Amino acid sequence: MTVLELRDVNAYYGNSHILFDLAMDVEENDVVTLLGRNGAGKTTTLRAITGTVPRREGHIAYRGEEITDTAVERISRRGVKLVPEERRVFPTLTVLENVQLAHELAADPRDVEETFELFPVLDDLRGNLGRNLSGGEQQMLSVARALVQNPDLLLLDEPTEGLAPVIVDDLREVLGDVVARDVTVLMTEQNVEFALDLGERAYIIDTGSNVWNGSVEELRDREDLLEEYLSVGTGET
Amino acid sequence: MSTHSLVFEQIITGIGIGSRLFLVAAGLSLIFGVLDVLNFAHGVLYMIGAYVAIVVVESVVGSFVLGVVAAVVVVAVVGGALESVFIRRLYGRDEEILDQLLLTFAFVLIIEDVVRFVFGSGGKSLTPPEVLTGTVPLGAGLSVPTYRGFVIVMAVLVLAGLLAVLRYTNVGRIVRSTSSDREMARLLGVNVPRLYTGVFVVGAALAGLGGALAAPAESISSNLGNSIIIDAFVVVVIGGLGSFVGAFVGAILIGILTAVGSEVIAGAGEFFPFLAMIVVLVLRPTGLFGGAEV
Repeated sequence: MTVLELRDVNAYYGNSHILFDLAMDVEENDVVTLLGRNGAGKTTTLRAITGTVPRREGHIAYRGEEITDTAVERISRRGVKLVPEERRVFPTLTVLENVQLAHELAADPRDVEETFELFPVLDDLRGNLGRNLSGGEQQMLSVARALVQNPDLLLLDEPTEGLAPVIVDDLREVLGDVVARDVTVLMTEQNVEFALDLGERAYIIDTGSNVWNGSVEELRDREDLLEEYLSVGTGET
Repeated sequence: MSTHSLVFEQIITGIGIGSRLFLVAAGLSLIFGVLDVLNFAHGVLYMIGAYVAIVVVESVVGSFVLGVVAAVVVVAVVGGALESVFIRRLYGRDEEILDQLLLTFAFVLIIEDVVRFVFGSGGKSLTPPEVLTGTVPLGAGLSVPTYRGFVIVMAVLVLAGLLAVLRYTNVGRIVRSTSSDREMARLLGVNVPRLYTGVFVVGAALAGLGGALAAPAESISSNLGNSIIIDAFVVVVIGGLGSFVGAFVGAILIGILTAVGSEVIAGAGEFFPFLAMIVVLVLRPTGLFGGAEV
């Protein structure tokens, strides 16, 4: 079943036109990676889906229902959960309070203790304020906060950005567990290796438009695409 | 009267003034902390509370408790209407702050004129209930006027209640999260428009409570809103915008400086609070408790 369908989606920040007639499908239990250079429109795509972009046009359907004009909180309550690029844990709430808040706001949440079992590093930090966590701990908390809401569609925006390699490995393990639980995932990522490891299908976007989509296996063999749109093999990442 | 009795009396008077001021400043601070709205109309909400209490007690039911409850409910409803009908239309505008100031100042002018038209411009007051008259002896020749003591206790209870709700309840977690990142709160499912109305209602209710409790303690007139809002802004600047503890400490400090200051230099009670505000702004621009959570 198609969980998410985007057709002719355009998005704007003020007078800046960011997405141009974007089209995309995410099927049940898919792990889709959205790839592209900085500024290609990856984050804006997720913001268009969650309703947090200032203006969007076109057709965005979630489980067959149009959500293009639906309020942010209503999209969230239907099960679409975002782990944002900047983590955005609540700085004046403790780790436990961040997770409890998300739990209480969800329609059909996962057990809080079960969620902490997925994140042993957070279990020891329950009483710490969000603002006192390291970048890696904040990223774990941001993911935990989304998972405790038992997402039907999990959106991950650049989950590895700014993390040390050892933390990226931990995150890969946690997200591997999540994917194994049949959660549908749409992820933006500049770390191509991480994205291809975790993903099953991929979309490449450039200057706000689709340029390619297919399986991760196909993409691995397309050095031309990796080089042209993702700078892989040119020394850049 | 001995010097220490005089000093004690002025300090108690100041704490009483500060307690009423806290109820207004707490609502102002709550609304700013969560909604980012500088509500100039908060003072007239306080004034409406005072008038509702007077009308209900003197003309309708004769019960002080019911007068206070009526004031809280009426002002809460007025506040909810102001936010949901008018103020919410300004959220996200480019010139939001300027528009807020103009709109809420318009409310001040309109509501003041309506009150002046209905009640006249003369001062009114309310007799406190029998049980709250007289004084409570504290020993060593010192005593506290019972009504003043009651207002102080009410302010402390309100502070404790607000802090407990914020700290230990789901509503408190929602308020604290939304005040720090409203978009992320929405992404987790918080209905921010409904929360904003709820917070405005609670803030207005606090102003209504403050006004009702002021009715037996000071002369109530149509310009009460203007005088109290200036003091309330001084309080939140000193305490730190968005902090309840800051609002309480700031209000008590302003109350004491006003009462003691007017003894030190007759008629200069307003001088010391503004001096304190300038000192705080210079030394600690975010206020004594600025940057703390709501």
